[in-house]
Amino acid sequence: MENRGLQALESGVIQKDLCTSCGACLSLCPYLQSWRGRLVKLDNCDLTEGRCFANCPRTRVNLEAIHQEVFGQKYLDIEIGLFKQVKMARASSPDLRKKGQTSGVVSALMEFALKEKVIHGAVLTHRTPDHLPRGRVIRRPDEILSCAGSSYVAGPTLQALNQGPWDDTDRIGVVGTPCQVLAMRKMGVSPLKKTNLADRVTLIIGLFCTWALTYEPFMKYLKTRVNGASIRKLDITPPPERHLKVITADDHTWDVPIDEIRPFIRTTCGICLDMTSELSDLSVGTVEGVQEWNTVITRSDLGEEILNRAEAAGILETQPLPEENFKHLKEASLLKKRRAILTLKQRGELEDGYIVLSHELIGQILSEAKEAES
Amino acid sequence: MAFHKDPWNIIITGVGGQGNVLASQILGQMLVQQGYIITIGETYGASQRGGSVMSHIRVSRKGQFSPLIPEGKCDFVLGLEPVEALRVLANYGNPEVMMLINTRPIYPIDVIAGNAAYPELSVVLKKIQRLSRRVWTLNATEIGLELGDPIFSNIVMVGALSALDLLPLHRKGFQDIIQEMLPPHKLTLNMNAFDRGREAVQELPLLPTPHV
Amino acid sequence: MSVLSKDSPGKKTLFMGNEAIARGAIEAGVRVCAAYPGNPSSEIIGSLSQVAEELGLYVEWSVNEKVALEVATAASFAGLRGLTAMKQNGLNVASDFLFNLNLSGTKGGLVVVVCDDPSALSSTNEEDSRLYAKMCDLPLLEPATVQEANEMTRWAFGLSEEMGVPCLIRSVTRLSHARGNAELGRLPKNLPIPHFDTSRPIVPQPVMVTHKALHDKMKKCQDRFEESAFNLYRGPEKPELLVVTCGPGWMYVLEALANLGVEDRAGIVKLGTTWPLPKSFLAQHLKKANRVLFVEEVDPFLENNIKEFCAERAAELGAKTFLGKASEDLPNVGEINPDIVTRAIQKVLRVSYEPRSSQYAQEAAEAASLFAPARELGFCAGCPHRATYWSLKNALAMDGRDGIVLGDIGCYTLGVRPAGFEQVKTCHAMGSGAGLANGFGQFERFGLDQPVLTVCGDSTFYHAAIPALVNARYNRSNFLMLILDNSATAMTGFQPHPGTGRTAMGPEAPVVDIEALCKSLGTKLQVKNPFDVQDTMDAIYQLLQDREGVKVLILRQECALVRAKRQKALYKILVDQERCIGQACGCNRRCTRIFKCPGLAWDPATGKARIDEAICTGCGVCADICPQSAILKETV
Repeated sequence: MENRGLQALESGVIQKDLCTSCGACLSLCPYLQSWRGRLVKLDNCDLTEGRCFANCPRTRVNLEAIHQEVFGQKYLDIEIGLFKQVKMARASSPDLRKKGQTSGVVSALMEFALKEKVIHGAVLTHRTPDHLPRGRVIRRPDEILSCAGSSYVAGPTLQALNQGPWDDTDRIGVVGTPCQVLAMRKMGVSPLKKTNLADRVTLIIGLFCTWALTYEPFMKYLKTRVNGASIRKLDITPPPERHLKVITADDHTWDVPIDEIRPFIRTTCGICLDMTSELSDLSVGTVEGVQEWNTVITRSDLGEEILNRAEAAGILETQPLPEENFKHLKEASLLKKRRAILTLKQRGELEDGYIVLSHELIGQILSEAKEAES
Repeated sequence: MAFHKDPWNIIITGVGGQGNVLASQILGQMLVQQGYIITIGETYGASQRGGSVMSHIRVSRKGQFSPLIPEGKCDFVLGLEPVEALRVLANYGNPEVMMLINTRPIYPIDVIAGNAAYPELSVVLKKIQRLSRRVWTLNATEIGLELGDPIFSNIVMVGALSALDLLPLHRKGFQDIIQEMLPPHKLTLNMNAFDRGREAVQELPLLPTPHV
Repeated sequence: MSVLSKDSPGKKTLFMGNEAIARGAIEAGVRVCAAYPGNPSSEIIGSLSQVAEELGLYVEWSVNEKVALEVATAASFAGLRGLTAMKQNGLNVASDFLFNLNLSGTKGGLVVVVCDDPSALSSTNEEDSRLYAKMCDLPLLEPATVQEANEMTRWAFGLSEEMGVPCLIRSVTRLSHARGNAELGRLPKNLPIPHFDTSRPIVPQPVMVTHKALHDKMKKCQDRFEESAFNLYRGPEKPELLVVTCGPGWMYVLEALANLGVEDRAGIVKLGTTWPLPKSFLAQHLKKANRVLFVEEVDPFLENNIKEFCAERAAELGAKTFLGKASEDLPNVGEINPDIVTRAIQKVLRVSYEPRSSQYAQEAAEAASLFAPARELGFCAGCPHRATYWSLKNALAMDGRDGIVLGDIGCYTLGVRPAGFEQVKTCHAMGSGAGLANGFGQFERFGLDQPVLTVCGDSTFYHAAIPALVNARYNRSNFLMLILDNSATAMTGFQPHPGTGRTAMGPEAPVVDIEALCKSLGTKLQVKNPFDVQDTMDAIYQLLQDREGVKVLILRQECALVRAKRQKALYKILVDQERCIGQACGCNRRCTRIFKCPGLAWDPATGKARIDEAICTGCGVCADICPQSAILKETV
């Protein structure tokens, strides 16, 4: 019988270096652990059907089925996925704006959702002092800020979702990257759905993402790059600069050109087709060239509702997104899809990879996506 | 009692830790006191750690024999564990062999871990019956547990063997040996175990079809 | 209550081969007995230790076989009779001293008993110790029966005293652990008082002189052997086949000839004195036949030496066909048994023989292979080594650098097997794990990025690992040594060692504290209880991150079998049948499938784990590894 458990996860994902470190396979059983950004297998498991395999965003994805389950319709909008609105937004509170990565929108929305009891707990990403991202369950709105700020390093946030602890009636909100969102949606259509938390995750805020870095080698490199100083903050400046700003404990800022850190981009990011978290309730990202505002895309009824309510309550301010920015957003998103398809093709996984796309879809993407000039 | 075959060969078989060696020692000494010449060959050592163990006992009026029984020459198997009793027949069994078996299984590690199956006891006993002349059984471990320690199962088996009247193994002889070998406070429990074995042993009805 | 000390000459009893040797030594007036435990030799000094007080002997468990031989030799130098016993590997350890002792000579009778383990039933190797006799030029005796073991040992002391050299006795498992009828001899009276004559140094120099003297002694020895009743011939005057044998081979050959019905066609030369060869005796019988079959354990020792002899005397003895291990007419690996011997003789004499119907044989073999599942070796229920290897496995997985674990000798050698999660990657001689670790611990300079670890038992530590630890400290090798201190020399039968506070002869002895020793060497040191699996795993992981010098982690927890003798279980363990999720995703039988303690059983009928109360010792570790907390431990 075909194995759809840990053995298949190992051969199909882990050994092919496709793990995204989303954490969806962790804290389900004692055999898989995450240690310093690495997936560690402690023992073999011979089950032919396992939640680790079912939850994993890099095992077979039936995009149509998921889209139908989440949005009740076919997958049509190839540029940035299904959306209701695309706006610019920022947190009204200067405090949140300062502590958040860009403009505190994600923190503000989650804090609001908790306060309004739309959710009872939020699964966010917290960084340890040595920049290792881990999931954390937040039940109190005033604790949100402990998880503010982006991480360029992939971390197993969903481990905290699986771990909880949760009460039987808890509604859960999660902030995640596209692969983490995909994992949660897979849980929603999994044959083992009864034993996972998919039904309780009622609010998903997805983040824009182009790629993520592998923790240990990246940190090792960075440490030598800053001559062993203690690193306080990391920030990737938007185009056209494209630097990694490293702020060390002595308040010195180091500018590391992006090309130096490209070797640490995870292999699995190369086959990812989703830049804007197309399966979330709402998605949040930067606005190119605009420092203090985020791009917000609402996709589901709940996503739309939360954004409107937050604005009405004065938590957020919104503005229309300029047409030029919207155009660039769509182009960037399509470009990521195009690159992913070409990489899948190169790996011989176009027909047989983790996600099966129809020929039309592939053709559409390839024809509409344009490489940047430079 | 006189028996026509000399040497008469007994194999005590079981799993390391069941008290195989003590049982062979006791039987051997009991028979030496009856004037027999006894040779015993033991396999222990690393096999104690959960492995199969065997004692080969050669009972003779004539002299010493090889401490290992030659192929196919076993006359009696005292099986402290069911599949071990079956296992020894592969090399040492023959159609005339008689068997006394403790029916309580000890699961090998691979069975516990789910990598191998332990056969149904009834299947094992049927196979054994086909490959032997007479078979007696009892759950000696259960009796041992009732007496306070499963280790008494080997003494229970010695008692059971004595009840079969195949060899001159008497209660008094057993008591003498126990008193010589073990400290005084252990006597009562061992005598109880011996007696319970005598009571509990039962012969399996012969198979209707002729055996091999 | 030991028959070993009974003053009843003529009493018949059932002796183990090793006990017969011990009794023979007693009857010869031995005073000093020393050994390190080693299967199949352990019962020799083991049984002597039980009657030492009563008989006025000094009996000691030494830290290793070299010291044991030296202790017994001191007796000899002081005019007393001394005995040491060891397994084949022990003779390797003691050999440096032996190669000097043969030249220096001895005074009081000194007997060195070596018990080989053909087929390595409980050893890491298979080895024929008889070759030492030839190399060292020492007399060698091989008993064939339990009675002979007693008589030879008694005689060997006198022989040693007469010749002024130690006498070797070689036994094997099938003799040492066999039991047979034996008759008690007389107990000695008036044992001498020790004195060392300082006017006569005992040294191997000048070597040219002592070496020549040794050759002369061996010539004298050969003359004595010519008259020995331990060598005999049984069979017709003109056999078609001559079988030359020694040790338990004698009993196998007798039985083989009887079963084949060829006692009138084959003759047996049984040798009890196998070095130096009794040449006249041999010549007399070798003339009888052209075909000679050699039946002996492990190496073609007699075969090659007698071939050599026949070449010397070719004119007198005529051309011969030699059959044996060297010619591969008998398997040249593993122990012999009556069936191997039977088949060899069958082939040479072209006899057809079927011990039982082939139909039966086939059916029995099939039944056994289908219905008797194999028994893989494992740790006992409650063994601290299982917990240690569990924590080690997890720590190495978390560390992720493909750590190298170098193993050593003891129950924990099973770490190479599934029982120990196959963590251990090398295992050779006593102390070799630490020795190898010293080497690997220097290779970071060449780019080795794998962490280095070694596992070492407490008894092994005292035996051989201390020099390696000193070396590590001095040469600054980087590795982690796990000392598995279960307060026992467990594999060989729980003999005491310097850490246990007991000796062979009594319950009170100073404890040679491993911790203090390591501290005095200046190594980094931690002590943990291996039953605390999380704590132990964390400690191992942390220590692996330290790349400076040697680190010692003592994992201290009593051997389960030792504890069981003193007290009942620590906890009563049960599996909550409601909480156990068995094979479901989230557990998949972690306790029975991965941890594999024999105290646990998988019940396919209920789909849950349960405790086998006949086996569980209540250590409680399984309760800590159950992901559902379904295994409960109640304090008793």
